Amino acid sequence: MKDYEIVVGLEVHAELNTDSKIFCDCKNVFGLEVNTQICPICMGMPGTLPTLNEKVVEYAIKMGHALNCKINSVCKQDRKNYFYPDLPKAYQISQAEVPICEHGYLDIFVDGEERRIGITRIHIEEDAGKLLHDDSFAGSLVDLNRSGVPLIEIVSEPDLRSTEEVKAYLETIKSILQYLNISDCKMQEGSIRCDVNISVRKKGSTEFGTRCEMKNINSFSAAVRGIEYEAKRQIDLIESGGVVEQETRRWDDVKGMSFTMRTKENANDYRYFPEPDLLTIVIDEDKIKSLKAELPELPNKKMARYIKDFGLSQMDATLIVENIDKCKLFDECTALNLCVPKNISNWILGDISKYMNETGKSILDTPLTAKRLCEMISSVEKGVISNSAAKRVMQIVIDEDKEPQQIIEELGLVQNSDVGFLENLAREVLAKNEKSVNDYKNGKTNAMGYLIGQCMKESKGKANPGMIKEIVIKLLEE
Amino acid sequence: MSIDIKKIAKLSMLKIEDEKIEKFEKDMEAIIDMVDSLPSIDGELNLDPDNVMALRKDFAVQNKYTRNELLQNAPEVQAGCLVVPKTVE
Amino acid sequence: MKLYEKTASELSEMLRRKKCSALEIYEDVSNRIKSVEDKVGAYITLSDETARKKAIEVDEALAKGEELHPLAGIPIGIKDNISTKGIRTSCASKMLENYIPPFNATVVEKINNADMVVTGKLNMDEFAMGSSTETSYMKKTRNPHDLDRVPGGSSGGSAAAVAAGEAILTLGSDTGGSIRQPAALCGVVGFKPTYGSVSRYGLIAFASSLDQIGPIGKSVKDIAMLQDIISGYDKMDATSKNMEYPKLTDNLTVNAKGLKIGILKEYFGEGVDDSVKESVYKVVKLFEENGAEIKEISIPSANFAMSTYYIISSAEASSNLARFDGVKYGYRAKEYDSLIDMYENTRSEGFGDEVKRRIMLGTFVLSSGFYDAYYKKAKIMQKRISSEFDNVFKDIDIIISPTVVSTAFKIGENIDNPVKMYYNDAFTVTANIGGLPAISLPCAKDEKNLPIGLQLIGKKFSEQTLLNAAYTYENLCGGFNVHSQIL
Ligand SMILES: [Mg+2]
Ligand SMILES: [Zn+2]
Repeated sequence: MKDYEIVVGLEVHAELNTDSKIFCDCKNVFGLEVNTQICPICMGMPGTLPTLNEKVVEYAIKMGHALNCKINSVCKQDRKNYFYPDLPKAYQISQAEVPICEHGYLDIFVDGEERRIGITRIHIEEDAGKLLHDDSFAGSLVDLNRSGVPLIEIVSEPDLRSTEEVKAYLETIKSILQYLNISDCKMQEGSIRCDVNISVRKKGSTEFGTRCEMKNINSFSAAVRGIEYEAKRQIDLIESGGVVEQETRRWDDVKGMSFTMRTKENANDYRYFPEPDLLTIVIDEDKIKSLKAELPELPNKKMARYIKDFGLSQMDATLIVENIDKCKLFDECTALNLCVPKNISNWILGDISKYMNETGKSILDTPLTAKRLCEMISSVEKGVISNSAAKRVMQIVIDEDKEPQQIIEELGLVQNSDVGFLENLAREVLAKNEKSVNDYKNGKTNAMGYLIGQCMKESKGKANPGMIKEIVIKLLEE
Repeated sequence: MSIDIKKIAKLSMLKIEDEKIEKFEKDMEAIIDMVDSLPSIDGELNLDPDNVMALRKDFAVQNKYTRNELLQNAPEVQAGCLVVPKTVE
Repeated sequence: MKLYEKTASELSEMLRRKKCSALEIYEDVSNRIKSVEDKVGAYITLSDETARKKAIEVDEALAKGEELHPLAGIPIGIKDNISTKGIRTSCASKMLENYIPPFNATVVEKINNADMVVTGKLNMDEFAMGSSTETSYMKKTRNPHDLDRVPGGSSGGSAAAVAAGEAILTLGSDTGGSIRQPAALCGVVGFKPTYGSVSRYGLIAFASSLDQIGPIGKSVKDIAMLQDIISGYDKMDATSKNMEYPKLTDNLTVNAKGLKIGILKEYFGEGVDDSVKESVYKVVKLFEENGAEIKEISIPSANFAMSTYYIISSAEASSNLARFDGVKYGYRAKEYDSLIDMYENTRSEGFGDEVKRRIMLGTFVLSSGFYDAYYKKAKIMQKRISSEFDNVFKDIDIIISPTVVSTAFKIGENIDNPVKMYYNDAFTVTANIGGLPAISLPCAKDEKNLPIGLQLIGKKFSEQTLLNAAYTYENLCGGFNVHSQIL
């Protein structure tokens, strides 16, 4: 296994979150009652014709810009012919010869290193319906609600060399789609899916091995499992003197195995040809430019900035960028320039993440605004309140929609940082605890913790813990 | 030019009865011979940018048809779905 | 008074002058259908009830003095591949024998809005594939001028209905000559508009890039009136042309003077009946005598149009007809033991042999290894033919040629020889390949008293010029007598 490297190319299908379907004005929604979001066009009734949704073209171009692609301002659509019950016209309108975007790349981070992955093409196409199976029923059922939902297919070059890279690539693609707000990326709803092309070769080799295509991968973790399984299968085959056959395999995530679907000999002959019901797609160059100008800062770019400008670790930067809400909050906070970015990151990845996980809510839907959060963090930085007091403040801001300052005052959370007061307090405590003082002087250093604890207790928790510690140490050393 | 009629039929999802294969083969070959007369000419299937398509605004219209209306021509319907022989790929 | 023998424009006049009612017109046509339909067999489905209702509505509206479209109340038959909501649309195939569309084709909506009276659905070759209407699964249609002969096809029902007086106007569809060839063989007027000028939405596709709906009637004016209703941009059809469509009827003029007519020499060569050639030359002479300029022209690649047409049309058809799989609508085989088995049995039982031939030809020319040699080559040839047409149209206004090489042949005569059958379209396919408007006009009868048709071809969107030339000829020759004398 160690002598080999894997070579992976990915085809990611992402459903676009347009209002209507790609070729008809049916609603593009998930999860409604079977066959209620259909019309004669998306059910392929004879005589119907497609009309291309302008948003689909725009979204594809946005993704093309995000992945540094060349945008083909003149392109067309083609038919991919095959029979299957979920494909009502018995052809999928896709793009074969001239895709809307091609020749791009995507930079991803793996182990703190930047890796550039080539993007072969992005094309627009329609989704198929769904087959439903029920053990109690002898046949299969066809629901066409999904038929005609717009898709972009993002095809990478065979540039990925490890499952870590695959995972990083998929996560980055997903976060870009979310940042562009062009796809919901809900894995469980199948709104983003991928096919994997994989081959293996001896390390150091420059030639590609025979590749297999793996279909039916429904999550990113399944992609990793599938690739690990398939790599091992291919290596074992080669090691035992066999040959990898080019074929299409089906990944079964429950069994954790892949199975032959089609061999090269009985591969589908899709008989692609230009879609005669649609004319040439011609996109105005100005439009292409303005779509580029509208692009938000993309997550992989953000990540580089967080690491470089704010000194975040790759881990922390990744965790923030991955979640669009956390990222938005972080950007708003850093823009205010009220506190240290690293501290903001700690709060977001700590207590705020915990809150979001526990409640399932987005922090953006709570009264904890960026300004309130920063004021609170800055109070901690200035020593006005303690860290534990700040946790209380945060919860109250969220629950009661109040200003942090008001909460701090009402609850009397302000720390006492008056040197004179703290010295007096420390002297009193030391005087009352002569034994502990002696213990300390006899080398029992943990006695200091007890003394500090006593000071905090005496002050009802208001003593500035950092300062009181310094003062106690100073007095003990006297 | 000879044609593998069985292979083409399969690709077309058609079954040709044995007694008809010969006739189909003969007819198809005659047709292919006719269309084979096309000379080789240079040229590419270029895109036609003069033939521009108007795009549709992204606007959804709901409930134009009832499910029953759309499924009334279906050979077999169950629980609001079209029915096909058990299919798992 | 035989109302069914009148033209649409005559009936329109009579209606407005209260010489007759819409119901009387419909009943006269309906009675004519009753008396001759047994012999002609033009209709697959009659829509008597809705037609009668519509005629009464028109009469009521006219009585109230409402302003209606000039063709309101005129009976029209529709080819059975044009979707009619609630009325079976079979494409003359077992596959769609019981199919009832839940929507109307755009042209049907327009006809309804103009308050025309839809008499029913007309026979055709199965899925419009054929030149004799013999491939219909539903019935035989006979040529009203000789009942032993074919009416042509694929719009055989549409042409025969007009010649037999079973409809005043009809709609057909033309992919390679399917309006003009039957119009020629039945001695009526058939017009294929420029590709993109009539919406294809709801026309059950044979070959999407070539199909075009068009009118069949008794006079050029009737054709213009119906074309004015059905033409126009439709946002439901991405291939429809978004432009102004001035009313052709308002600008019909008789004027041969200065009209530049090209004689397409490739279409007067071997294989064309002498009687056909002579008749068309007579028309050329008539034009010339009245001041037209005649010029011999050549489209060097015209002889490749047939091959080009059969490759492109079959390729598109193989894909367009793949949706008939027994899942969503239409026929499903009774016996099968798997999905593939269901697909294969359904399609083998549901389609006739001609449809299967075209599907297989199309599958073949698109299949891997053959695409470049056939489909791609044909598309490049299509471009060449188009540009040759563009070139000749720099010097001329219209092209004249025979519509078909010969007059109507006997039923059964060509059915076992597809290639011979295909040569029926030899002169008509070019207009489809080039997307050009073309019209077939009755110009003479042969020694067997069978109609001969001539074809005029115009450049893209030159409908007005083309129809004016046709109108000029109609006037110069003293009008057409389209009706069968034997029924
Ligand atoms: Mg795809
Ligand atoms: Zn729809």
